[in-house]
Amino acid sequence: MSTKGKSRRALLIESVTGLSAAWVATNYPGILAAQKHVRLAAKAGQLPHLAFFTNAQAAEIEAMAAQIIPTDETPGAREAHCLYFIDRALSTFARASQPLYTQGLQDLQAKTQQIYPEGGKFSTLDSERQIKVLIEIEKTPFFRTVRTHTVLGFFARPVHGGNYEKIGWKLIGYDDSLNHKPPFGYYDAQPQPPARA
Amino acid sequence: MKRFSTSSEVDFIVIGSGAAGGIMAKQLSVAGFSVLVLEQGNWGKYGREHEYNKDEWLQRNLSDEDRLMSDPTQQRNTFRPNDKVKAVSGTHSYGCVVGGGTVTYGGSSWRHLPYEFQELSHDPTIPSGTAMADWPVTYEELEPYYTQAEWEIGISGLRVNSPFLAPMSKDYPVPPVPLKSSGALFNTAAAKLGLTVVPGPLAIITQPYMGRAACVNCGICSGYGCQVRARSSSAVTVLPIAEKTGRCEIRVKSYVREISVDNSGRVTGVIYFDAQKREIRQKAKSVILSANASESARLLLMSKSARFPEGLANSSGMVGKHVMFGNVVNVGALFEHPLNEYKGVISGAGIVDYVHSDPKRGFYGGGRMTARGYLTPFELGLEGLSPEAPRWGAGYKKALREEANHRMTITSFVTQLPLETNRIDLDPEVKDSWGLPAMRITSTAHADDKKNMEFFRQKSIEILQAAGAKKIWAPPVNEARGGAHNRGTCRMGNDPKTSVVDKYHRAHDVPNLFIVDGSNLVTGGRNHPTLTIQALAFRAAENIVRAAKNGTLRTSA
Repeated sequence: MSTKGKSRRALLIESVTGLSAAWVATNYPGILAAQKHVRLAAKAGQLPHLAFFTNAQAAEIEAMAAQIIPTDETPGAREAHCLYFIDRALSTFARASQPLYTQGLQDLQAKTQQIYPEGGKFSTLDSERQIKVLIEIEKTPFFRTVRTHTVLGFFARPVHGGNYEKIGWKLIGYDDSLNHKPPFGYYDAQPQPPARA
Repeated sequence: MKRFSTSSEVDFIVIGSGAAGGIMAKQLSVAGFSVLVLEQGNWGKYGREHEYNKDEWLQRNLSDEDRLMSDPTQQRNTFRPNDKVKAVSGTHSYGCVVGGGTVTYGGSSWRHLPYEFQELSHDPTIPSGTAMADWPVTYEELEPYYTQAEWEIGISGLRVNSPFLAPMSKDYPVPPVPLKSSGALFNTAAAKLGLTVVPGPLAIITQPYMGRAACVNCGICSGYGCQVRARSSSAVTVLPIAEKTGRCEIRVKSYVREISVDNSGRVTGVIYFDAQKREIRQKAKSVILSANASESARLLLMSKSARFPEGLANSSGMVGKHVMFGNVVNVGALFEHPLNEYKGVISGAGIVDYVHSDPKRGFYGGGRMTARGYLTPFELGLEGLSPEAPRWGAGYKKALREEANHRMTITSFVTQLPLETNRIDLDPEVKDSWGLPAMRITSTAHADDKKNMEFFRQKSIEILQAAGAKKIWAPPVNEARGGAHNRGTCRMGNDPKTSVVDKYHRAHDVPNLFIVDGSNLVTGGRNHPTLTIQALAFRAAENIVRAAKNGTLRTSA
């Protein structure tokens, strides 16, 4: 890789993300992959392919995420593409969690079989049964990590792969523009009592 | 920018570039002296602040190059509540970038009240057995420097004449931040309970000022660098002025491990590790130590010599003692209508009626209550819901939808009694990433501090009820074990036996060493130390310049 070429790509990424060149140099492969996947996916109108999970693992993680933030009358973790955020995270900043996921997925399958011997995979159980399995493991580091990553994926800037079409932000009424004007909320829009001081 | 060679002798080395270090660098370089600022952190986005991103995920994953705070796995520290137990790994962290903690702080800029400088003499309720002492400086002496700090740094606020606030000789340079819904609810409660609400003074400008833009209420504020340079950090106020003199160099990634002395007991310079952890010696005629209360004490204790076997400037044995951390009380509530507290600054209005200690309460203590509720999407989603809300599933999603933007928090900033047993020293076993002794924190709050925190917890509940809260949660009070607002480890005083620096910040033991930062605070005030640190720095600089010019401090200028 020529220095020149690297610096040009670094500049490109910097312009997209506001990251410094030094940071990009350190984290270059991961961030490039993340940005590229998201951009390509958006262009093709398709979901990005996975960098860490196998398709089979992805189905299990997505099923877990969809129980953590379910789809009801509004979209949930599945529609927000939290899976893709987690996959990107495990290939970049959260690499250290890879073994936790690999082992956790095996434990999830074992727990599923223990409770529902005829049930097959966790992802193929009905919702009620999935919830029962997750209640069994909700104190484990694996579940807590998937929960954290699902929530982060739901609320991170969409450029990181999740929060697709700002689904997460819409749920909580979060306006991500960087310029707000008062009144900000209901109470400061009301007439105020005279100051005592 | 000026570059000094390591073989040259500068007039002043300033260790640290935060609230105090930035001011010292500016005042001394403008006065004509050569100044080398040694900052252990990196540049951040100094001079290109628009590059500060507001991306929560990236902010949580900053590289070492882009860090704004120290990393407790590198700047390692340990904690123990008292001497009887072994210290365990600690989480203490502080601003670690050009501009120090002011780059990311919330910006609260309250003055100390006049009597807080002589509180021991004025308050009969102070319990015996504490290390409470009068300052060698009065409010009247410091008042002009508070004004100078407010106008040179750029503080927004409203000058209010009230027995609960320090009197001011001049208005704030720019008006206060706009009222938020949490402040409006303070108004509602205050009207019912007869309390006093004032806009919080903030180091965030609300109008263009000194070449900087006004706050745009982006909402990603405390903890983040400010994109529009509205936060009046040292990095956008005093340090650029210092650099423009052509006499000031800011040298980053310079981790000082020793302040060196000669046989006569005078400081000769420092030894620091550069970015590659190479040891560099730099000579100076005088050293200004502005590394924050925790690190300044540690550096003095590490600077042992034949002449100062217990650490530099420590003949009193007082270096590191009387550390005070930032005790706060948080009470949360939900309201019927949206507050949208995520917009705008972190802290707007304050209720100030309980700043004074009151003997009727049966303990010593006071504080200020601030209206808050700011939660980023990550903070809300991870830990921000009310305590009974489910943490996943349909109930979690419902709570997210219902509680988002309806939340308010009262954060009370309270007094802390200085105790000799609470201190910073060197851990006998644990080392930091440079192989130096880790900082060890020993701290347990006085019983009155805990009673005071409980008092503010109850008051918060009353106020939130009066404001019409639908639901209130008030977790048990918890004392700080490190973090921002650390104060008191090199207290100033007239007696060299009981204090570390004199009233002009000169070390009692070392004629050309000055310690200027939160470490000098004799008492903690009502928390919120930054503006007092800044006022002290302006005053210290003026006296150091005078000493240098009248020949009582050797310089080349």
